[in-house]
Amino acid sequence: MKTRTFLTLAIAAIVLAAISWWIGQMSYSWMPPEASIEAKLVDDLFSLLVAVASFIFLGVTGTLLYSAVFSRAAKYDTSDGPPIEGNVAVEVVWTVIPFVIVMGIAFYSYQIYDQMDVHGPMEHRHAAVPTDAAAPQVPTERPAEVEEIEVLAWQWAWEFRYPNANVSSTELHVPSDRRIRLALKADSVIHGFYVPAFRLKQDIIPRTDAQLEFTPILEGTYRLRDSQYSGTYFAAMQADVVVQSPEDYDQWLTLAASQPPATAYNQAVYEYERAAKKPISAGWKSVPPAPAPMVNYAADPQPVSPQAAIPTPEDKQS
Amino acid sequence: MTTNAPTGAIAPNVEQPAPGAPNNWRRFFSFSTDHKVIGIQYIVTAFLFFLIGGLFAMIMRGELITPDADLVDRTVYNALFTMHGTVMLFMWTFPVLNGLANYLVPLMIGARDMAFPRLNAIAFWMVPVFGIILMSSFLVPGGPAQAGWWSYPPVSLQNPGGNLVNGQFLWLVAVALSGVSSIMGAVNIVTTIIKMRAPGMGFFRMPAFVWTVLSAQMIQLFGLPALTAGAVMLLFDLTTGTSFFDPIKGGSPVLYQHFFWFYSHPAVYVIILPVFGIFSEVFPVYARKPLFGYKVVAVSSLIITGLSAIVWVHHMFASGTPGWMRMLFMFSTMLISVPTGIKVFAWVATVWGGKLRLTTPMLFALGGLVMFVFSGITGIMLAAVPFDIHVNNTYFVVGHFHYVIYGATVMGVYAAIYHWFPKMTGRMYYEGLGKLHFALTFIGANLNFFPMHPLGLQGMPRRVASYDPEFAFWNVIASLGGFLLGMSTLPFILNMVSSWVQGKPAPDNPWRAIGLEWLVSSPPPTENFEELPNVIAEPYGYGKDEPLVSNASAMIGTELAPTPSP
Amino acid sequence: MESSVESQTMNSQVVDGAAIAHTAHEHDEAANSMFGFIVFLLSESVIFLSFFVGYTVYKTNAVNWLPDGVSGLEVREPLINTLVLVSSSFVIYVAERFLHKDNLWGFRAFWLLTMAMGSFFLYGQAVEWRSLEFGFTSGVFGGTFYLLTGFHGLHVLTGVLLQTLMLGRSFIPGNYDNGEFGVAATSLFWHFVDVIWIILFVLIYVWQ
Ligand code: HEA
Ligand code: HEA
Ligand code: CUA
Ligand SMILES: [Cu+2]
Repeated sequence: MKTRTFLTLAIAAIVLAAISWWIGQMSYSWMPPEASIEAKLVDDLFSLLVAVASFIFLGVTGTLLYSAVFSRAAKYDTSDGPPIEGNVAVEVVWTVIPFVIVMGIAFYSYQIYDQMDVHGPMEHRHAAVPTDAAAPQVPTERPAEVEEIEVLAWQWAWEFRYPNANVSSTELHVPSDRRIRLALKADSVIHGFYVPAFRLKQDIIPRTDAQLEFTPILEGTYRLRDSQYSGTYFAAMQADVVVQSPEDYDQWLTLAASQPPATAYNQAVYEYERAAKKPISAGWKSVPPAPAPMVNYAADPQPVSPQAAIPTPEDKQS
Repeated sequence: MTTNAPTGAIAPNVEQPAPGAPNNWRRFFSFSTDHKVIGIQYIVTAFLFFLIGGLFAMIMRGELITPDADLVDRTVYNALFTMHGTVMLFMWTFPVLNGLANYLVPLMIGARDMAFPRLNAIAFWMVPVFGIILMSSFLVPGGPAQAGWWSYPPVSLQNPGGNLVNGQFLWLVAVALSGVSSIMGAVNIVTTIIKMRAPGMGFFRMPAFVWTVLSAQMIQLFGLPALTAGAVMLLFDLTTGTSFFDPIKGGSPVLYQHFFWFYSHPAVYVIILPVFGIFSEVFPVYARKPLFGYKVVAVSSLIITGLSAIVWVHHMFASGTPGWMRMLFMFSTMLISVPTGIKVFAWVATVWGGKLRLTTPMLFALGGLVMFVFSGITGIMLAAVPFDIHVNNTYFVVGHFHYVIYGATVMGVYAAIYHWFPKMTGRMYYEGLGKLHFALTFIGANLNFFPMHPLGLQGMPRRVASYDPEFAFWNVIASLGGFLLGMSTLPFILNMVSSWVQGKPAPDNPWRAIGLEWLVSSPPPTENFEELPNVIAEPYGYGKDEPLVSNASAMIGTELAPTPSP
Repeated sequence: MESSVESQTMNSQVVDGAAIAHTAHEHDEAANSMFGFIVFLLSESVIFLSFFVGYTVYKTNAVNWLPDGVSGLEVREPLINTLVLVSSSFVIYVAERFLHKDNLWGFRAFWLLTMAMGSFFLYGQAVEWRSLEFGFTSGVFGGTFYLLTGFHGLHVLTGVLLQTLMLGRSFIPGNYDNGEFGVAATSLFWHFVDVIWIILFVLIYVWQ
């Protein structure tokens, strides 16, 4: 009897583990494209998390379901179950195993974080902040060349500056397979720099410059979204990110530099002005948006990637 | 008041009930100091706010069913999610759980009332007061607060209307008053549990629910003051022009974030711990088995209280938090799963091999547990820094916390309300309606909140009134699920109202449950116990056939026992 | 309601001997109140703790800590103030001892002295505030300075008001028949306010 229970349990666990591993493999497809080295690292971690999660969730839910189906009391059965009050061995096991699992997850996450090293040489604003505990351990595949770009977050517009090329743009262009270092600045409120395809995010606090490093690897157009709620037009504070081959990128820089600065289209400014023209307001007073940025290169008001279109009511009417 | 109490207990069906008697509905509208009245006052008031907060959510889901910002203005949407989060947390979960604690704790530990009955009543009556203050912000120029329930500066300081009394101002006043009320409640409950236990009611004879309430209220005591400090400073920034949190003037918005989360993270355990207590009460009754590992389950609540104080930065992983801090708080956050796991496994073991009765409370508890495990595991994922950096401030987080806050907490509260409904009202509820309510809630909640996870993984930020069309598919499902969830409250309301008015009279102990509250009449007399119980056993003696108290008959007071008149 | 509980307690003494000790304990309301009050003070101290932590964080991270034209805080007068407040903690203790010995007039005299010392402290603080060349909105320094001293001052004021109340109540005949909870709590509060001030003084005036 004892061995049979044990065997059943072992088989159940193995089957469950197999299913969980499979779900973990599936999880790669739930994520956006892996457009950076960091994205690959994060997805590996996520896959592990999903596998562990599936095992625990299915295990607990399965057991409960089994009980709910097979341990029901008959209608007129008023008897009690066995008065089992506990079992020290079992309790120790289910204290120790979760501890081991989560510590494992934490150490693995630590290593992944270490490899991502997204903060580059952290700028030490305060003496009180010690160096990154994660000692920089540069992975071999990382390119040595670093491309520096400034990111300015207005309320509510993104502006990108390429100081070496004298270019400013409302679209972020980055060369693939090169290390990118962003210097992030915010004007009046906190914003968040977030590119899902890169799996990267960093809040930008006014007067506190932040840095972010990553290596894009997959050419294409992706979305950059504000991730830290910043007021009325927060949802519209998006931009396109174009990952290009280094040659295309250089070409783009030259092209952009040759163009005279012009006021770019800005969704927040557009909506704010339209609301001001309406005789009655459907909402409450909003902070006025910062003026639309003057840039050499403005993304098309009809953004490049189809998914990126933010339809305005005008579009719908026409 | 003095003489009425025993009268009510002796003859529950007198024609004209005296003001304080358990069968007079008017007492619910009075400044009563009876913990049972206050408990029900809390629960009903909180539920009204739940409907209001839910109504906001319905409008939000209506907006989100299409990608454009077309149903309401962006400022309105922003006000709605701010008010939705605030109402749901400060005016629904805290008050409803305080209501349950108020009603149950004195009965469960064998006390006649709370330690400070008048303080108790004042704490309750502040709830409608700050609720009305918060709601009135819809009427001031500029509208309600629009900075999210975190009210992060500098956005919360922007005050575009320029009025002194603006939505954000009223928000801060309401939250501060809510804090004062919660502190008063916490002092009262902690004192009651420590000082007012009946003879023989040692700590390890207290029901697990009492343990969780104690642990939760301790969090209020150490956490709320930090929020208060932050709120006071924010209020000064907003009104008098100080520069504590304004980066342009040299202040530190991140410090506010620390103050806020130092409380608001532990606050989630203020919410979930009593729900753990409810699970611990409900499972043994309907599985007919003792709570597995009772002592460890009890103590793990206190461990959670301790750990809850050292993990708050996991809400700030993307806020410019230095790497060492990210790693430190990742490790501490991971630890929470250990005491929580102890509880989860204990409940599974309690149910295992029992004699299950799938009544409405049991269904809600089981459904709540399943959704809790799901949310807990997504919580552990969020604690893993590299992954959190991707999904932070996306719908993945919104999914995580609605699973725990709706799936576990609201369902757990439903379980509690059904389970103790006969005790509180003296009436039975309708089982069929209850099961319908469960089915709608469980399906609705999963349809509503599951799609938020793929949305977050794909990179949809939270707090957006409009979104890219690629996210439409899951949002439509979420909205439909949300509407179903809204509908699910109807059978509940119908059940509660009609059962209370004309339900079958409930016996003292309809579930054959073990616990002091089940030894007294339904509803209990004003003074709870004729004679204080003398407890001689641990709780949850299912299948053991042992008495819980040595003086059962004296305790409930028979009709023959003369009540001494003062 | 009180009396009804009382009478039932009497009743239970007859029925069950075991309950006697505990019911007496249950009805030790002063003990409950004191316990509740201590719990409250512990919680209250976290507000001060938060302010202190905030102050420390600001000060250690600030680039320009003092507002333009401000060179620092004068320590001498505040030090006198501090000595007065700290001594008043001993005075209030003496008052309590008198009360224990049922010497009401001794109690009142020393109690009044405490109040005077507390009021002196408040007065001293008002004088200091008036003489300062920076205000509440003068940067983070001005903000934290007035926030901390003001919030503490509010507590001193509350303490003095409580003491006034207790002094008045001492003239009610039989006021202490049910224990001295009010006096004990006020006195505890006073010590609390005192300890907070010492930390505050070190943070703001000593650590410049
Ligand atoms: C009642 C409410 C509640 C509860 C109980 C929890 C529980 C947990 N939460 Fe959650 N959380 C919220 C409410 C809650 N949370 C809210 C409201 C927010 C967002 C606020 C906002 O931004 O507006 C949030 C946000 C939030 C974040 C921030 C995400 C972000 O903004 O980027 C994180 C990150 O670590 C997190 C983690 C956790 C963890 C680790 C737990 C743990 O306590 C979970 C522990 C439970 C389990 C793990 C399951 C049971 C255990 C087992 C079966 C044992 C075996 C398990 C393992 C080995 C893993 N939560
Ligand atoms: C206890 C807490 C709690 C509860 C129960 C809920 C319940 C619900 N929540 Fe929410 N939610 C939060 C706490 C909670 N929420 C918090 C803290 C936030 C973050 C806010 C922020 O970012 O600042 C949030 C944010 C939030 C968002 C994200 C908004 C955004 O980021 O843009 C969404 C979106 O779908 C949402 C939806 C819902 C839905 C559909 C429900 C449903 O469960 C509601 C079901 C509906 C009802 C129960 C009511 C039914 C009523 C009627 C049918 C009408 C009758 C009405 C009257 C008579 C007045 N919630
Ligand atoms: Cu822009 Cu947040
Ligand atoms: Cu948290």
